[in-house]
Amino acid sequence: MKILVDNTPIECQEGELLIDVLINNGVEIPHFCYQQDLGMDGNCRMCMVEIKGQKRPQIACDTFVCENLEVSTKSEKINEVKRSILELELLNHPVDCPICDQAGECKLQDYYMDYGLYESHLCTPKTKKGKHIDLGSNVMLDQERCVLCMRCVRFTSNITKTGELGVIGRGDKAKIAVAPNHPLNNSYAMNVVELCPVGALTSKDFRFQQRVWFLDSAKSICHGCSRGCNIFIDYNETKYTDEKVYRFRARRNKEINLSFLCDFGRLSYKELNEKFTSSTWHVETFKEYLKIEKKVALASPSLSLQQLQAIKEFCEKNSIALYSLPYVDESFGDDWLKINDRSANFAGVKELLISTCQNDFENSLKDANLIINFDHNLLKSHMPENKQLLHFSTSKCDYGTVYAIANFAHENGTLINCDGIRQEYYATKYRCETPRLVELLEELK
Amino acid sequence: MQTKIVSKNFEIPHANSLEVALKNGRYTSLEKLFTYQPQEVIDIIKTSNLRGKGGGGAPAGAKWQLASDFEGKKYLVVNADESEPGTFKDRQIISKDPHLLIEGIICTCYAIGANSSYIYVRGEYEEFSDILQIAIDEAYAKNILGDEAKYPVEITIHRGAGAYICGEKSALLESLEGNRGHPRLKPKSPEPEFYFGEPTLVNNVETIASVPFIIENGAEAYTAYGTDCSSGTLLFAISGHVEKAGVYEAEFGVGMWDYIQKLGGGVKNGKKLKAVIPGGASTPILPAHLVMEAKLDYENLKSLGSALGTGGMIVLDEDVSMVKALKNLLRFYHHESCGQCTPCREGTSWVDKTLDKFINKTATLQDLEVLKSVSKSMNGQTICVFAPAASGVIDGFLKHFESEFLECIV
Ligand SMILES: Cc1cc2nc3c(=O)[nH]c(=O)nc-3n(C[C@H](O)[C@H](O)[C@H](O)COP(=O)(O)O)c2cc1C
Ligand code: SF4
Ligand code: SF4
Ligand code: SF4
Ligand code: FES
Repeated sequence: MKILVDNTPIECQEGELLIDVLINNGVEIPHFCYQQDLGMDGNCRMCMVEIKGQKRPQIACDTFVCENLEVSTKSEKINEVKRSILELELLNHPVDCPICDQAGECKLQDYYMDYGLYESHLCTPKTKKGKHIDLGSNVMLDQERCVLCMRCVRFTSNITKTGELGVIGRGDKAKIAVAPNHPLNNSYAMNVVELCPVGALTSKDFRFQQRVWFLDSAKSICHGCSRGCNIFIDYNETKYTDEKVYRFRARRNKEINLSFLCDFGRLSYKELNEKFTSSTWHVETFKEYLKIEKKVALASPSLSLQQLQAIKEFCEKNSIALYSLPYVDESFGDDWLKINDRSANFAGVKELLISTCQNDFENSLKDANLIINFDHNLLKSHMPENKQLLHFSTSKCDYGTVYAIANFAHENGTLINCDGIRQEYYATKYRCETPRLVELLEELK
Repeated sequence: MQTKIVSKNFEIPHANSLEVALKNGRYTSLEKLFTYQPQEVIDIIKTSNLRGKGGGGAPAGAKWQLASDFEGKKYLVVNADESEPGTFKDRQIISKDPHLLIEGIICTCYAIGANSSYIYVRGEYEEFSDILQIAIDEAYAKNILGDEAKYPVEITIHRGAGAYICGEKSALLESLEGNRGHPRLKPKSPEPEFYFGEPTLVNNVETIASVPFIIENGAEAYTAYGTDCSSGTLLFAISGHVEKAGVYEAEFGVGMWDYIQKLGGGVKNGKKLKAVIPGGASTPILPAHLVMEAKLDYENLKSLGSALGTGGMIVLDEDVSMVKALKNLLRFYHHESCGQCTPCREGTSWVDKTLDKFINKTATLQDLEVLKSVSKSMNGQTICVFAPAASGVIDGFLKHFESEFLECIV
């Protein structure tokens, strides 16, 4: 089926929402309240389009496409409508962009540049509302910046079904709030910050840390559990300070995490910034170690298929018994995204036929003189007696000799998630001083 | 000049009690009702051309048909939220003849196949709601309502919390479901309302109270009153600068000025008429010269650029400042906007605050432009018709009385 958008035919399915068709085909359609995974609410009135045969402009988020629909998204008339709605949206807005964390990724700013560009007509006092309100779960609210799109309310009522957020007051006194003594309290709460199209909801963790226009993004996968939620790693690379990861953002994937992340996964970016001491890598020294009889290796089930494959080849060549054990945490999972299997690639371990037998591993460990740990957490804080312990690690280890390797922010790789979905992740662009595991193993060949 | 159909028993003392009500003809329509099939009842209502009396004037029969045709457990919800300034007719029915409403509910439920009904009563109507509850209890005790009745009907009163917007039918249903009173997005094609997902008919108190007469006397007896398109009668209300403010039922089509003089007793203290807000605050104002030619029916008032609305006339005499009158109305819209959609939430507050500058005589020409442009933005771009109504009010004042606004400009 075809519809005509600004005189260009677009292919679509009968009954699809017009706004989805426009978004999916890259047609600009300003919108605050519609969100592909929260659905329509129709309150912001920003997504107005002209539809042939209709007297009044219509909202695209409440229009279903049908054969021969003729839509205009940028006629002079419709741009005037958008301008007038935007003017009202911004009327009582504090416009404190210089101190607002959303600046640079704010829909009010974007749309003002696209459709606004008017002189303010406001000659009456602005409505005052609450500032820096701590809602709980790391989320801060500025009611004056809020455009009442209800995304945050819909998230807590329809998605997490925890219902902490609501609107109180009517008309221009309407504001988002939590009930007294009932703070925002669920393990997905920080999604509301990302859903908020403006700077009304900000994260305590990211507030005032970095202007977003200094950030670069890499497409990656959360390593917090085997769900494999798709993320953007937002990081920056500056000349005078250390490179740093500032946050994870959800990257939409309809099959896995939609537009959401759990708070644990979202905050797990911090591990990527951790510094730890390690030994200098010498191929020759390492080769000496390899002469030790009876060796066993343990590989982290969160390493990529490529890393695991290289480890496997290395171990076979050097007659090292290789194992991988899952990270299981019975208290982690829930009935939505979070999974008790906390490894990012346990399905990958299985695919490569690496032994996952706990008993066999413990027996090999007893006999072994040399243990090589490929980033598995189990051995980082545990020292088997009378053995040599070598680590290739992305984080701090309490015992043994540690060779630092690049963490997943610096790697390209493939993971298989809990549902068998194979996914790629990509390295950030910044310089990586720590070597990559695969390259080290290459040197040993 | 009065035609008493719905208000027939209003003057009878204690007509709110079942005993007196039964002596004065209440529930007699039910005998006739049960001789008809439900569809026949709907057809009679269609022929009677009964129109919704909550302000919109939509044909009742067609709405009943929609609800009746839809699969599912059906509900009737009676809208007694009556919060429109200038409108105070429904409370007369509830307090003076509540059994007429109950009788109408039974007829309507029978016609559409509902066994449960709710009456959503305006929060402030505590006293009237109590009277209504007593009448309902009496009807249950006499098996007029309840399981043992000839046609089982349950009635539950739900009291609102004092929000004008909860009179809008979909906001009312949201509120009844326990949610915030936010109007819903309008459907693209005709369908009934939905209460917890089940097909529901929402009608105004007076609409339902008009049903027993039609059932008992036939559609023609109703269409004998009024005009071709506006059949029957309406409980017109009159308030403001008149000698005898009150609710007086009259047939559609009578002259507005005639009504004001004969039933309202004319403008108070012999002053001259300046204007009339014809059908509750949300209808555009009519200046005196248009009042003289206005007829109290839907079509005539529409042709004059206004609307019949709820038929609650507010009369303004020659001394009224139109700037202050508009300010009074805009304060109401500012206060009552549900705040859901942008043009209304921000627009109602902006125009109200801008009016302050006219009151203080510090307005500029730009402020007048703001009134006009914001009014335009509020029209036709919102979820419900609250904002367009406010816009129509502003436009009406500016159209007929712009000079008074210009006088406030520095
Ligand atoms: C802002 C607003 C307020 C309303 N308030 C009332 C009200 O108080 N009572 C009422 O009967 N209808 C009210 N209505 C109209 C209802 O939405 C609905 O049309 C009516 O109850 C239908 O009944 P009717 O067809 O019998 O008139 C209101 C509509 C709007 C937009
Ligand atoms: S806080 Fe943000 S997400 Fe919530 S209603 Fe306001 S603008 Fe929308
Ligand atoms: S559910 Fe798992 S993969 Fe998703 S964000 Fe949380 S920890 Fe990461
Ligand atoms: S027009 Fe006003 S009252 Fe109606 S839904 Fe929008 S904000 Fe609420
Ligand atoms: S996105 Fe369509 S009304 Fe908000």
